[in-house]
Amino acid sequence: MREILLIAKREYLEQVRGKAFKVTTILIPVIFAVVIGISVLAGKYSGSGKHLAVAANNLTLAEDLRLQLLTDKVANLNVDVIAPAADSDRQKLVDEVSQKQIDGFLWLTQDANGKTAAVYAGRSSGDFSTASRLDEAVDRAILQQQLTIHGITADDAAGFTKGIKIKTRQVRDGIEVDSSTFGTFIAAYVMAFLLTFTVMMYGMNVGRSVIQEKTSRIFEVMLSTVEPKDMLAGKLIGIGAVGLTQLAIWAFAAAIFSGSALAATLMTDNFKVQISVPQIALFAVYFLLGYALYSTLFAGLAATCESEQELQQYAPLAAVPVWLSFSMITFIMSNPNSFWSVAVSLFPPCAPIAMFLRIASQFPPIWQIVLSIVLLVGSVYFVIWFSSRIYRIGILMYGKRATVPEMLRWLRYS
Amino acid sequence: MTPVVALDRISKSYESKIAVKDLSLQIDEGIMFGLLGPNGSGKTSTIRMMIGITMPDSGSVSLFGKPFTRDSLKRVGYLPEERGLYKKMKVMDQLVFMGELRGLDPAVAGRRAHDWCERMQILEAVGKKTEELSKGMQQKIQFITTLLHDPELVIMDEPFSGLDPVNATLLQDTLVELRKAGKAILFSTHRMDQVEKLCDSICLINRGHPVLQGGMREVKSRYERNHIVMTYEGDSSFLQHPAIASFKDYAGQAEIQLKPGANAQDLLREAVQKAKVTRFELVEPSLEEIFIRTVGEKVDA
Repeated sequence: MREILLIAKREYLEQVRGKAFKVTTILIPVIFAVVIGISVLAGKYSGSGKHLAVAANNLTLAEDLRLQLLTDKVANLNVDVIAPAADSDRQKLVDEVSQKQIDGFLWLTQDANGKTAAVYAGRSSGDFSTASRLDEAVDRAILQQQLTIHGITADDAAGFTKGIKIKTRQVRDGIEVDSSTFGTFIAAYVMAFLLTFTVMMYGMNVGRSVIQEKTSRIFEVMLSTVEPKDMLAGKLIGIGAVGLTQLAIWAFAAAIFSGSALAATLMTDNFKVQISVPQIALFAVYFLLGYALYSTLFAGLAATCESEQELQQYAPLAAVPVWLSFSMITFIMSNPNSFWSVAVSLFPPCAPIAMFLRIASQFPPIWQIVLSIVLLVGSVYFVIWFSSRIYRIGILMYGKRATVPEMLRWLRYS
Repeated sequence: MTPVVALDRISKSYESKIAVKDLSLQIDEGIMFGLLGPNGSGKTSTIRMMIGITMPDSGSVSLFGKPFTRDSLKRVGYLPEERGLYKKMKVMDQLVFMGELRGLDPAVAGRRAHDWCERMQILEAVGKKTEELSKGMQQKIQFITTLLHDPELVIMDEPFSGLDPVNATLLQDTLVELRKAGKAILFSTHRMDQVEKLCDSICLINRGHPVLQGGMREVKSRYERNHIVMTYEGDSSFLQHPAIASFKDYAGQAEIQLKPGANAQDLLREAVQKAKVTRFELVEPSLEEIFIRTVGEKVDA
C-alpha cells in the first residue's frame, strides 16, 4: 500500500506541475465558452440580413406577408414585393437569384377559393432557419387574410395571430419548477462533453505515462522493488486524482462565476442552468468508472507498444463509443426513455456519456442507473484483469509491438 | 555462513525457447560474483528470477538464507541492463523517491542522496531535471539509486555496457569498496577483462545451461598452462617446433599456443639455441580463452 501511494504521489505531482495541466485547465473552459458563444450567436442570427422577394398574384397577401416577415427584428430581412406577379416575373426572379441580387424568392399563388400554394427557391438548399421563418410568416399572413375576409378588423386579426411563447417548466420530485430546455440542454451537453473529454484525456494520459516509463527503461528498476500491479494501481490513482483536481478547479471557478454580476446578466429567465446534487454525485461516479475503464485499457495497450505513435493507432478504439454517444445526443435529449437511448446508456463504453445525457433531460429510473453502474463495474473488472496481465509481461518486452496472438498467449501466463 | 543468494536447479522457458535450465549457484558475503555468457544465454533471465521479476518454472530461489519473499528485496540493489530514470523529475526528488520505495525514511534518503552525490561529484546537478543532464551524469545517478538503501546484495546486469571510461573506473572502484564492506555483488557481463580483474567466483552459462562454475583460481587451474608469451632477438625458425599448435609473431614478440600435452621446456631449449631470448613466460589461459574454448567459436559477444 505504501508503494502504491508513493507511486500515485509521484505521478500526481509530476502531472500537476506539468505545463499540459496548466494549459488545459485554463484553455478548456475558454474554448468551451467560445464554442458555445459562437453556436448560440450563429443559431440566433442564422438566416438574418437576407434579401428576399415575395411574388404573389394577390397584392394584399403579399403585403401582409412582407409585414409579418419584417416583424422578426432578429432576422433583419429585406423584402421586395412583386404583385400581381406574372409567369414572366418568375424567370426574372430566378435570374436575380443566380446573379446574387437577391438570396431567394417566395412564389405564392392563391386560387379563387382562397387555397394557397407556396414555393420558395433560394441559392442555398439547406437554409432551415429561413424556411421555418417563411413557414411561420405565410401561415400567419394567410390566417390574418382569412380573418379579415370573415369580418374581423385588421387590428384584431393582427392581435389574434400574434404568437405566444411557450414557457417550459419541468416536473421534478413531484413539484413543478422553472426550467429552460435550452439551459438544461447546454448544461447536459457541457457536462457530457467535460466527462468525455476528461475521461479520454486522462485515460490517454495513463497510456502515455506507461509508454514513457517503458521507453525510458525505468520499469525494470521499479520492478525490482514494486510489483507490476502496484505500479499500475499507483499510476491509475495518481492520474485519476489529477483529473479530479482539474474538475474541482473548474467546478470551483464555475461556482464563483455563477455568483458574479456577469453571470446574473446571462442567466435570464430564458436561460437558466440547473445542476442538481445527484447530478454532481453521478458525474463523479461516471467519471471515475469511465476513467477506470479507459485508462486500464490504455495502460494494457500501451504496455504492448514501443512508442506513443503506436499507441495513437489504438485511439479510434476509444473514439467509436464517443462518436456513438455524441451522434445520439439530440435523440437521447428528446427521447430519453426510448429503447435505443436506454440500450446505449447501459452499454458500458457509452454509459458514462449517454446516461449522463439522460439524467440531464429526465431522471431515468433508478434501476437503470444502478444497472449501468453494475455493468460498468463489471467491465472495469474485466478490463483490469485483461490489462494487468498484458501489462505485466508487456512492460518487459522490448523491440516490437506485440501482435494479438502474442497478447492472447500473455493472458495465459500466470 | 548462510549464502546471500542460493539458486537451486532453477529452470525457465518461454514458449518453446528454454531461457534457463537447471541452474544452481551460490553467492556468499564479501564475494564478487561474475555471471558470464554470450548474449541471449540466459543471464538476464537468471537475474530476473533471482529478484522475483519473473518466477522460475521449477527450482527454488533463496535470498539471505530464506526462501524468496518480496520483503527481502529491500536488502537488494538492482541495476538492470535496460535502465532509465524519470526524465521530468529533479535529481534529488528522484533519488528520494527511489529511496522511499526501498523503505527509507524521506529524510534519511535525502541525507544519503546528498552524501552519494558529493562522493560522485555531481552535487551541482541535484536541482536539475534528469533530462537536462549528460549521459555520464545520468549513469552516476543510476548507480546511486541502486546503492542508496545500502543493500547487502548488489546485482548489476551488464553494468559496464555504455559507460564512458571515467565512469567505468568509478563503478569498478565503488564495487571493490562495497566488497570490502562485506556486500555480496553479482554482475553479469560479456567483458572478460573486467571479470578477470574483479571477480572471486564465476558462473559461465551458455544457452541457458551452466557450463563452467567455481572460484576464479580453481576454474583457471582446471585448464592447462599451454600459452606462451616470449620476446626474442634473431632467428625465428624455432617457431616451427613440433610442440607448437599455432603462433603469432609480432617482430620479436611472439604469442604461442602449445599442442595439448606438449613440453614447453623442449621449446625453450630450441629457442635459446637459435635466438637470444629475453622473456619466456608460460601464462595461464585468460578467461576469454576459456570462455571461447568452452562456449565455442559461435560467440557474438
